Amino acid sequence: MDYTKYRLKKAEEISEILSGISRISVLWCRKCYKEFKEDSEPECGQLKAMLEGSGTEITVCQPVDFLCNNHLTGKILEQMQGDEPVGVISCGLGIQFVAGACKGKRIIALADSVPQSGNATSIVGYHGIALGPEKCAACGQCYLEITGGICPVVDCAKSLLNGPCGGASSDGKCEVNKELPCAWVQIYERLKKQERPLSSRVEIRNYNIFKIDEKIKQEKLNRNERAEGYYGGVHPQEMKDGTESIPLDVFPSPEKIIVFLSQHTGLPAKPVVKAGDNVRVGQKLGESAGLVSAPVHSGVSGKVIAIEERMHPVSRTLQPAVIIENDRKDTVDSSVKPVPNPDSLSREELLGILRDKGLVGMGGAMFPTSVKLCPPKPVDTLIINGCECEPYLNADNRLMIEHAEEILKGARIAQRLLCAQKVIFAVEDNKKEAAESVDRLKDNYPEVEIVSPKTKYPQGAEKMLIKKLLNRNVPEGGLPFDVGAVVLNVSTLYSIYRAVYEGMPLIERAVTVAGESAIKPGNYIIKIGTPFSDILKYCFNGKSADMLKQGCELKMGGPMMGIVQFDMESAVIKGTTGLLLLEKPVVEASEENECIKCGRCVDVCPMELHPHYYAYYGKRGEWGKAAEYRVKSCIECASCQYICSSKIDLLSFIKKAKKHVNNKN
Amino acid sequence: MLITKIKDRQEVLETLKDKNPFVFKCFGCREVSFPEAEIDNLLQEYRDCVKGIARIDYLCREEFTGRYLKAFAGEISSAKSILVFSCGVGVQVVSKLLEGKIVLPGCDTHYLNGFQGVTAQNADCEQCGQCWLNLTGGICPLTACSKSLLNGPCGGTKDGKCEVNPEMDCGWALIYERLKSIGRMDSLKKSAVNVRDYNLIIKGATK
Repeated sequence: MDYTKYRLKKAEEISEILSGISRISVLWCRKCYKEFKEDSEPECGQLKAMLEGSGTEITVCQPVDFLCNNHLTGKILEQMQGDEPVGVISCGLGIQFVAGACKGKRIIALADSVPQSGNATSIVGYHGIALGPEKCAACGQCYLEITGGICPVVDCAKSLLNGPCGGASSDGKCEVNKELPCAWVQIYERLKKQERPLSSRVEIRNYNIFKIDEKIKQEKLNRNERAEGYYGGVHPQEMKDGTESIPLDVFPSPEKIIVFLSQHTGLPAKPVVKAGDNVRVGQKLGESAGLVSAPVHSGVSGKVIAIEERMHPVSRTLQPAVIIENDRKDTVDSSVKPVPNPDSLSREELLGILRDKGLVGMGGAMFPTSVKLCPPKPVDTLIINGCECEPYLNADNRLMIEHAEEILKGARIAQRLLCAQKVIFAVEDNKKEAAESVDRLKDNYPEVEIVSPKTKYPQGAEKMLIKKLLNRNVPEGGLPFDVGAVVLNVSTLYSIYRAVYEGMPLIERAVTVAGESAIKPGNYIIKIGTPFSDILKYCFNGKSADMLKQGCELKMGGPMMGIVQFDMESAVIKGTTGLLLLEKPVVEASEENECIKCGRCVDVCPMELHPHYYAYYGKRGEWGKAAEYRVKSCIECASCQYICSSKIDLLSFIKKAKKHVNNKN
Repeated sequence: MLITKIKDRQEVLETLKDKNPFVFKCFGCREVSFPEAEIDNLLQEYRDCVKGIARIDYLCREEFTGRYLKAFAGEISSAKSILVFSCGVGVQVVSKLLEGKIVLPGCDTHYLNGFQGVTAQNADCEQCGQCWLNLTGGICPLTACSKSLLNGPCGGTKDGKCEVNPEMDCGWALIYERLKSIGRMDSLKKSAVNVRDYNLIIKGATK
């Protein structure tokens, strides 16, 4: 299907417009609202052929995706050289935008919009997002309840509201166009089927129903909300009320724990215990295997029963893990002891503690903290990330409410290590209690600036947060320190505090457990290595097995970026922010339709990418093209997949493309 | 883009109370104005009156909607009617798929200027089929002028504002300023005699 909105003007008209113009540059829109089957369009070639020998030379022919997207197109226009007139091949929206943006240049419209009343740029016959025959004129006073779901405004050629005009032929065709069925005949037939009377109420259409000022206000509101802080992003239902007010609670110590040796970016830890060994709480089980790596520790005391491969919750492949049987004595290892005077520790000593206690970023990425806090470039700002923008999750929220002081103490250590002048504590504006609890301590921590950005997903991603708070752009392939910033999650800072002040390695973390029919949803301090099955049993009262059979799925993390778990004998790791048992959608991503170039993925991508190309080239195995469209910059926030009107599994294409691109390098 | 608003509350309440409907709640056009929270509050209040609720995205996609109808077949068949919170397209798709059922819209749909893929832009295009932008400095007289005048301002313009709504800029004043700034005032002479060909719309629609 093709609802494309422009066609090239006729040759005569174009030659008339361009007479006397010796050079033009051309911008052409790659079109929208058509099934995405070709990545090029013929118009530019047709124009070139028309201008052959006419005396007008085309200097550049620049294709643009969604020319009307003023943010992205604006960037292209900034780079356009030369002062020759700009010819635009697009619908009227694109032309108007270019004319408004390049005020000094002459803009030439080279195309007419295609008037089809099924087209999404037209008021008459606006049709939602899918390419389908149903149309809606957005009249503001829906009549469908009295007409059996057939719209008289769009389907009757005369938009009559009170019955047929009398011009319909005996076989029910419209007198305006014999090929069109009479809408009122269809309405009559439909109502007859439903045994409903035709009770068209006498109501006059009110063309002023939506006041223009209200409309302008709404448009502004919409635009401002979308553009808040950074381009793109989405606002999924927050679903936080379920566990928001449930205080952190210690999860019962499990029978056995499964501690994966790889719970961080970099090399897996090397085991330093063997089956049969007795271990204590806080004892090291695996040693850091290199510069970018981290040790792992035991959360319980007991006996190592095996070191064997288990299903890893992130890679979802078999990975070595240390399995410990809990003796429930909680004997604490001698290495776990507070440092007498933490403030007097040197930089090296502090970094040594963080490395030794196995600290990694606990927002999900699990990058070793000691490496992050030792950046190769000067850093002026430390950002404390209390955004927790994923729906459902409240673990960080509760941590901020209950342990703000410890988080701020942890931040002071990080600030000292980074020599950062500025500390910004970002708490999204949907976490009022957390913001208040941090705010109460501001007199003791005058160096910390507390900000409450408006909630928008994926604000918790470091690059978005840096853009939002500091208006700095982390370069492609770069890291936050490239722009003088470091972002640390509140859970990580809390663990830094515990490691330095209490000598406690990273053996437990706050996790939100929630989802459909949870008996005991909540925010729990859970030992790292606790099997998922234990948590399901405790929080879902054993019903989980049935639920998993009946169309529910277990996600580790939030619903947006969380990873679906298939093996319930997998276990909590350092990056587990939540465990959610959610109903699967009736139509899942991957049960897809053809991409219709609706542009929604481009509109929401916070990294300003073009996700629809990843699916297009992915299906054709042209991974190199995906690289050209900067697939490596993708942060896998899944906003594109969330909004895709065709339910394309964009994320899996992105992951595959990244793999191909990395292998090639 | 579109804005959906809950219909007159009284009307919706009657449907909920008297007709024990099955409810479809579309949230497809995300990031566009859709009163989902308001609808949820309403449904919460009248939870006992409804046969079931399906939260679905892109109700306008018939194939997807068909799968939802199957998944909720039991509840739908026992419901006296179907209440759909969506734009007019969604209501029509459900009506078509459930021809024998009474399908009732819960929302009114309003038009929001701009383009679908990208959130509401300032500019608008009416798809007239004969682009005027060459003559008007890239500002569309059909959409920027409240009366869609093609041959200059109506005379009701005052201080650059429209007489229909004083908050709105006069489209022709904008065009005049734009043409002056790009030194193309001569094109005003050309626009005067062009008449809009409405027939293009019909041809375009049935091409």
